[in-house]
Amino acid sequence: MRQDKETCVQRTRLFFYFFEKSNWATGEKAPLDDIVKVKKVSSQAVRYLNNFLTTRLERIATMMELLTEAHDDWAISGKKDYILMETETYDFNNSIKILNKQGFDDSEFIVKVEYARKWGVL
Amino acid sequence: MGYISSENKSTTPSGGWSDLWKQEDYWAMWLGLTIVLLVILFWSNGYNFMNWIVVKIPTYSDFNTAMSYLSSHKTTLITLYFFFLIVFSIAIKALTGEVKRFLVGFTFLFLLSVLVSVWGSWSVMKSYYVETPLLALVVGLLISNLLKIPYWLSTALQTQFYIKLGIVLMGASLPFTLIVRAGSTAFAQATIIALATFLTIYWTGTRVFALDKRFAATLAAGGSICGVSASIAIGGAVKAEKQHVSIAISLVILWSIIMIFILPLAIKALHIPPGPAGAWIGTSEFADAPGMAAAAAINEQAIKTFTLMKVVGRDMFIGIWCFIMAFIAVTRWDKRYAGTKPDALDIWLRFPKFVIGFFLASIIITFLAASPNIVTSKALDNNIINPIIELRNWAFIFTFLSIGLTSRLKELASVGWKPFAAFTAGVLINIPLGYLLSVVIMGNYWITVK
Repeated sequence: MRQDKETCVQRTRLFFYFFEKSNWATGEKAPLDDIVKVKKVSSQAVRYLNNFLTTRLERIATMMELLTEAHDDWAISGKKDYILMETETYDFNNSIKILNKQGFDDSEFIVKVEYARKWGVL
Repeated sequence: MGYISSENKSTTPSGGWSDLWKQEDYWAMWLGLTIVLLVILFWSNGYNFMNWIVVKIPTYSDFNTAMSYLSSHKTTLITLYFFFLIVFSIAIKALTGEVKRFLVGFTFLFLLSVLVSVWGSWSVMKSYYVETPLLALVVGLLISNLLKIPYWLSTALQTQFYIKLGIVLMGASLPFTLIVRAGSTAFAQATIIALATFLTIYWTGTRVFALDKRFAATLAAGGSICGVSASIAIGGAVKAEKQHVSIAISLVILWSIIMIFILPLAIKALHIPPGPAGAWIGTSEFADAPGMAAAAAINEQAIKTFTLMKVVGRDMFIGIWCFIMAFIAVTRWDKRYAGTKPDALDIWLRFPKFVIGFFLASIIITFLAASPNIVTSKALDNNIINPIIELRNWAFIFTFLSIGLTSRLKELASVGWKPFAAFTAGVLINIPLGYLLSVVIMGNYWITVK
C-alpha cells in the first residue's frame, strides 16, 4: 500500500523509566527494593541506588539524543519516574532499530504503539 | 479513535485530562447530553422550541407538495442549520481548530442533506426501497468517486463524530431497563459470532495465506469485533505494522460499504421482521456508521436492535479483547518487544467513551419517565423523545453522506488479494451465522424488542 493511501496514523510512545527495567540482567536488581518500605535501610542500598541512577540516567539521556538526532518531531514529556517520547511521524521499528544498534536492549525502554484513523476514515 | 487532521503538524503529548476536550468521543458525549438536557429544559419551561426546529420531510408523490412544504418551513430549516452549526463548531474548534473551513463545508453538507432528504421522501424512491440513508450514501459515493473533494468540504466530513453523537442521542429513545435486559442477550450472541469470525480470519490468514500473526489478528479484529476501531486498537496492542493496519482498515470499509447494500436487500427479499433484521445487521456489519445506514434503511425498530447488538453487545468490549490479544502477543507469539506487558488500564483507555453518553442519555430519560411529574408517557414521547429522534436522524444523514463522500472505492480496493481472501473467509462465516442466531434462533426475542 502506498504511503499516501495509508488509512491510519501511528503514534509511537517510548517510556524510559528511571528506576525500572523490564528485565534485570544477572547481578542487577531493582534499586528501590532495598529502600522503599524497608525498616532498616543500609548505606549500601543507597549507594547502589546512586550508582544505578547515575548509569541509568546517563543511558536514558543517550537514548534521547540518538532518537532526536534521527528524527526531529518528538513530544518529550517528563513524568515523576520516567521520560516519555512520542511521535506520529516516525515508525516504531526505526526507533527500536536505532536503539538496538547502539547497544540498548529491549529491557531499557518500553515501546507502546497506538493507531488512530487518518482523516476521513469512517 | 479520534479524528486526525494533523497532516503537517508536529506531534503533541497525549493523554491526561485534556482528553476530555481533545477527543471526539468525549465531544460526542458532551454535545449529545447537552442536546438531551436542552430539550428537557425547553419543554419543562413551557417552550416548544426543540419540537419546532426539527424538520421531517413528509412522503410526497408530486414535487409541488415537497416545494410548498420546504417554503413553509424555511425559517425552521435555517434555525436547524444554525443550531447544528453552532453545536458542531464548538467541538470542531477544540478538535481541529479549523472552524472557518468547517463553516463552509458544513453549509454544503447541510444543503446536500436537505436535498437528499427531499429526494428520499419521494414515494417513487420508497417504492423501489431506496430509502434516504442508502440514497445519501450513493450520492456521496458518486460525488467522491467522480470528483475531487475540496479541502474545505473535507473538514466537515466528520463521519465518526456524527455517528457517535447520533448514538448518544439514540440512548434517549432506549429505556435503560431494555438496554440492560437486551444487552446481555446481545453480548452473548455477538460474542459467539465474533469468536467464530475472528478465528476463521485468523486461521485462514496465518495457515492458508501465511500472513504475519499480528497482521492476521488485526484483520480478524476488524472483521469480528467492531470494525475500524477494533483494527486500530488490536493493531496497537499487538504492535502490528502500520501498512498492515492500513490494509485492515481499508478492507473493513470496503466490506462495510458492500454490506450496506447487501444486508437490507437480503432482509427485504427474505421478509425478515425489523427487530431480528436490526440484530442481524448488528452482528454482521463491520462498523457503526455503515451498520446504522443499513439499519436505518429498514426502520426505527431495526435501528434500536442494531444499536443494542453493535454498541452494547460488541463495541463496549473492545478493551477486553485488546487486553487478551496483547497478552497472547506477548506470551505466546515471538518475544519481540516482550518488555511491554499488557496493562489492565488499557481496557479503560480503549473503552469507547461515547458509550457512556449513550447510557447516561438513556438513564436520564428513564428517570424522567418514572417521575410522577410527567403527565403521560405520550407527553414524554411527543415533547422530548421525538425531537431528540429527529435531531438524531439528521446526524445520521450527515453520517451517511460523509461515508460516501470520503470513500474512494478504487483506493480501498488496492490491498492485495491474500488479506482480501482471508477477510472474505470471515465474511462467509459471519453473515450466515449472524442470520442463524439473530433470525432463526433468537428471532422471536428480537421481534419483541421495540
